[in-house]
Amino acid sequence: MLNYDPFDYALHDDPYATYRRLRDEAPVFHNEKFGFWALSRYDDCQTAVRNFGLFSSAQGTTLEPIKAEVPTLINADPPVHTKMRHLIAGMFTPAKVAVLEADVRALAGELLAPHRDSGRIDIITDFAAKLPMAIISRLLGFPKADEDMLRGLTDTVVHRDEGVFEMPDEGMHASIKLYGYFAEDMKRRAAGPPRDDIIAALMDAERSGALSHEEVLGYIFILSIAGNETTTKLIGNMIFQLHRHPDQLALLRAEPELLPSAIEETMRYDGPTQMMARTATRDIALHGRTIPAGAKVALLFTCANRDERKYEDAEVYDVRRNPRDHLGFGGGLHACLGAALARLEAKVAMEELLAMMGDFAVEEAGLQRMHSPQVRGFTHVPVAFAA
Amino acid sequence: MPKITYVQQDGEAVTADALPLMTLMETALMGGVDGIIGTCGGICSCATCHVWVAPEWVDRLPPMGQEEADMIEGLVHRRPESRLGCQVQVDEALDGLVVRVPPAE
Repeated sequence: MLNYDPFDYALHDDPYATYRRLRDEAPVFHNEKFGFWALSRYDDCQTAVRNFGLFSSAQGTTLEPIKAEVPTLINADPPVHTKMRHLIAGMFTPAKVAVLEADVRALAGELLAPHRDSGRIDIITDFAAKLPMAIISRLLGFPKADEDMLRGLTDTVVHRDEGVFEMPDEGMHASIKLYGYFAEDMKRRAAGPPRDDIIAALMDAERSGALSHEEVLGYIFILSIAGNETTTKLIGNMIFQLHRHPDQLALLRAEPELLPSAIEETMRYDGPTQMMARTATRDIALHGRTIPAGAKVALLFTCANRDERKYEDAEVYDVRRNPRDHLGFGGGLHACLGAALARLEAKVAMEELLAMMGDFAVEEAGLQRMHSPQVRGFTHVPVAFAA
Repeated sequence: MPKITYVQQDGEAVTADALPLMTLMETALMGGVDGIIGTCGGICSCATCHVWVAPEWVDRLPPMGQEEADMIEGLVHRRPESRLGCQVQVDEALDGLVVRVPPAE
């Protein structure tokens, strides 16, 4: 029987056959066990992310009930969301993040240096897990010495135990530690000279009364998690797909200017953010079914990205496609704030990896995955390459 | 609340009320305007919120930044009165603004 259960580890290994059946057989799917609904076609997901009046984020974007009382950027609708997003949205445009390119490249070079001559690297643990956290730490002004600790805590926050419908205790404890760290950091800043960065902008908003102290902490929490997790998984998924599609890798090597297109295609075909949830504000009649008001609705972005109603040969990985309208970064008001930064990091990461590695192969027996209902990607991608 | 009117490709005029701090793109999504997509959520990187501003309003909008100008430069349907909805914040001075939604790129 057709089922969609994002808490089932087996789905994480290969969700795409299930996704195809959902699009074809049950475009409005009801999971009776957990009581949520799921939309899987491109048009439906795109409509939903744009129609925030009908598909609200205010009850959270996870299927599980939210535990936080404080509104955060992703768990808010206008006008609260509007106020929060505009505080820093101007800092994440392509031109604003472009100035970070030299920094990203230098960091990438540092991380790759110890592996350059060895012919072996774990794409995730040696490289992709460290690069985005280093950049977001720099943007948020955290000391380098704290990066590993912060990454450990943010990883723990997103992990879900198999079959369990809520954040495990470890995740709650990690969240509390992160909030404590951010609060201490703000105290240190308040005592020191003013800085010019994201947290400084948020602290200004607190002083002017636009945000409460708790809202600032929640904001930093979201930024630290978002900056860490998904870009890591994108780089890992891209190396894996290029390994699995040697013709596409050869094309990319022959025409390096295809890299931005190849990144968009990886986001479409195997992007890390599989799903984000909304809550129906009214009864929603669609494809012969009715989603009741108040129900959680999963929007299956990576499934929608493979909808053949939208993309020709949608299940084919084609680095020439350049699908700029994919839903890998979501869409509408909540579209990924850090998308331009993610694109920059992925571009530099791939340039540096492909320059270092001659022929390479992922050692598939050593692949390991993370487990989350929403984010899909590897925790280990061991690669052997021609140095 | 300032009211903004969007004339869709099908000719229908949709009027939406802007909430505080909203941009033309966000206001359009609130009003369910066809053809304003907002793929990138307002970070000036998709141009799916492109609008043509009614001539009498062009000079009354806040000036265009370089990033917005660069994005518009790449559009097939660009015109002198083109703006990206996500880069224009709505305030009371824009109450009554009329924009047209160009064809999709």
